[in-house]
Amino acid sequence: MSDRRIFVDYLARAEGEGAIDVVIGPNGEIKETRWKMFEPMRFFEAIGIGRRCEEIPEIAQRICGICPHPHHFSTVQAIERAMGVQLSEQTVLLRKLFLLGDVLQSNALHLYFLAAPDFVGYDSVIAMAANPELLPLVKKALELKRLGNDMSVLLGGHEIMFRSSVIGGFTKVPETSDLRKTKERLKAAKEFALETVNLAATLAAQPPYPEYTRKCEHVSLHSEDEYALYDGRLISTEGLDIPNWDYRHWIIEEHVPGCNCKHATIKGRDSFLVGPLARVNNNFRQLSADAQAAAFSVNFKVPEFNPFMSIVARAIEIVHAIDGAIEKIDQIGQTRQEEPRYQVQAGEGYAVTEAPRGICCHGVRVDKNGIVEMWDATAPTARNVRNAEKDLAEFVPRWLHLSDSELTLMCEMTLRNYDPCQSCATHAFKVNLRRA
Amino acid sequence: MAKPKVAFFKFSSCSGCQLSLLNLENYLLDILGAVEIPYFVMAQRTNLAGPYDIAFVEGSINTPRELEELKQIRKQSTKIIAFGTCANTGNVQSIKNFIGTQREMEERAGYTHFEDILSFPVKGIEHYIKVDGRILGCAPDLGEILEFLRCALLGINPAFLPHPVCNECKLKENVCLLLSKKQPCMGPVSAGGCGALCPSLNRQCEGCRGPAKDCNPAALARIFQYQLGLSREDIVRKFQKYAGETPEFRKGVEAVR
Repeated sequence: MSDRRIFVDYLARAEGEGAIDVVIGPNGEIKETRWKMFEPMRFFEAIGIGRRCEEIPEIAQRICGICPHPHHFSTVQAIERAMGVQLSEQTVLLRKLFLLGDVLQSNALHLYFLAAPDFVGYDSVIAMAANPELLPLVKKALELKRLGNDMSVLLGGHEIMFRSSVIGGFTKVPETSDLRKTKERLKAAKEFALETVNLAATLAAQPPYPEYTRKCEHVSLHSEDEYALYDGRLISTEGLDIPNWDYRHWIIEEHVPGCNCKHATIKGRDSFLVGPLARVNNNFRQLSADAQAAAFSVNFKVPEFNPFMSIVARAIEIVHAIDGAIEKIDQIGQTRQEEPRYQVQAGEGYAVTEAPRGICCHGVRVDKNGIVEMWDATAPTARNVRNAEKDLAEFVPRWLHLSDSELTLMCEMTLRNYDPCQSCATHAFKVNLRRA
Repeated sequence: MAKPKVAFFKFSSCSGCQLSLLNLENYLLDILGAVEIPYFVMAQRTNLAGPYDIAFVEGSINTPRELEELKQIRKQSTKIIAFGTCANTGNVQSIKNFIGTQREMEERAGYTHFEDILSFPVKGIEHYIKVDGRILGCAPDLGEILEFLRCALLGINPAFLPHPVCNECKLKENVCLLLSKKQPCMGPVSAGGCGALCPSLNRQCEGCRGPAKDCNPAALARIFQYQLGLSREDIVRKFQKYAGETPEFRKGVEAVR
């Protein structure tokens, strides 16, 4: 008897290009579960060498169109650490506000546009919009996403690629009045954010999703004072607790043939998960009061090790992003124009920020003229690849009774749980399923 | 009248251009009402083969597989639009064309199984196929995408002007970064349409939309060199970033050679 093979040649509703290849032997044994990214490499770490350090945050955001901002802030921070740049309080607050807006926008995009169609049995959000019953929901989701985007435009000049953020600060800061208007819009969006938590919890509570728990190490940033997105220590559910700039010594990467993305493991241990589920598990106490209450109301208990619950974690984060952004706007108060100041000096720096899909790590070494000598970039999806393959290896044997098309959908959903961002990870998705 | 079939394809790039379409939240439902989208992998699971009326192609061509797929898309599509800077001029990944050998690049980026990696010099899609229209920008301006779609539906040419960023900067009454603040701004040679976004935010233009029509990069390179005192390396870096492969920006590099 020949093998049964599930092969998705180009994973849909995800950023970038990748394939899923699952091979099942004649007796139902799993021979292979691979997530092969065929997104071509663009060699960012190599093209950065010999550029001016000021260009790196600008080039880094071109790694990924869905999470350009964490790439930008990781590189900016790494370079600032390398050169010993002091920042104003306003700059740090504006950057944190930015990342909250990013979580709002990206989580809404993933939840409603990329993930929800799977759970409600539609091909895409386009098909959902054609249903008059779902149309109002789609409209509200679009509004929520627009709000996150408008925050990017206000703070950085553009939805995707930053313009005003540079080493040392911002070339132009937003007007106080515009921040106040944003605050009013955030307040108005709160109700729908809370509805989103209920909706996500209802979707994830449908059988069979609640059955699929797989315990693995969850890694995220953590700070005692606030929900860590911009800075903090790197911690895990298995006891990892290190300064974020030390990530290279603890997270081991290797190049695996057949996949354009390097695979990651924690030193001496196993693969791990990064993203909203890890963040909520590790930082539940730092969530806003309303976000915690929303989590309790839908019976979300930490630690939660069911990857299909990641959409609920995303929804909870949307509530927190709104509360957190309002708080940050209050803290910023009256904005004042500051000239970004720094002096070029030789040094090496590393930094980690939280992209909506997990930790985003960058390291840069510059020489005394500000020319880059080394650039180390690792995107969140690269952290998740091996873990996602292990999810498949564990779950597929339980799905053997399904038809090929159902099994393929479940395999795709397993990867979409990670909100993959494959352009970054290779610096891509197809599902291959083979069975006897 | 049947709705036009609009397809979205992606090659080596960041998906930011496709996301820009989804970022048109306020108009998205209207757009979906006016066109049929048979192919858009980032947004839907079921994707159909051609023929397509309009194909938006994002990304640069970086591998033999991509080149083969691009040729197939050309065969299946009536009109092809180069969507964004990668598809038009290669974008930042084209920097690799100017530095070191392929093998060095791979070693620098930390890959160990070289037999796995297929990659050739990065080019925009027009290097290989005929292109019927362009949307510039990294990432494209939402207003321009909307205008392009509107014109495409009406069957007319969009009135994208070939002027440089400077024109738009003057209309906004910004203080000139190049002449007044002596900053190395690429505005005089870079295609406008962005509304002089960066200079309006006190930041010099980096030329992310590629060269403007009839620009004079050699003169700008000499201004950078003699009036602003930039080093040769800095000037080369300026011209070899978003559109180093274009004949215009090559002239900027040659002027300081």
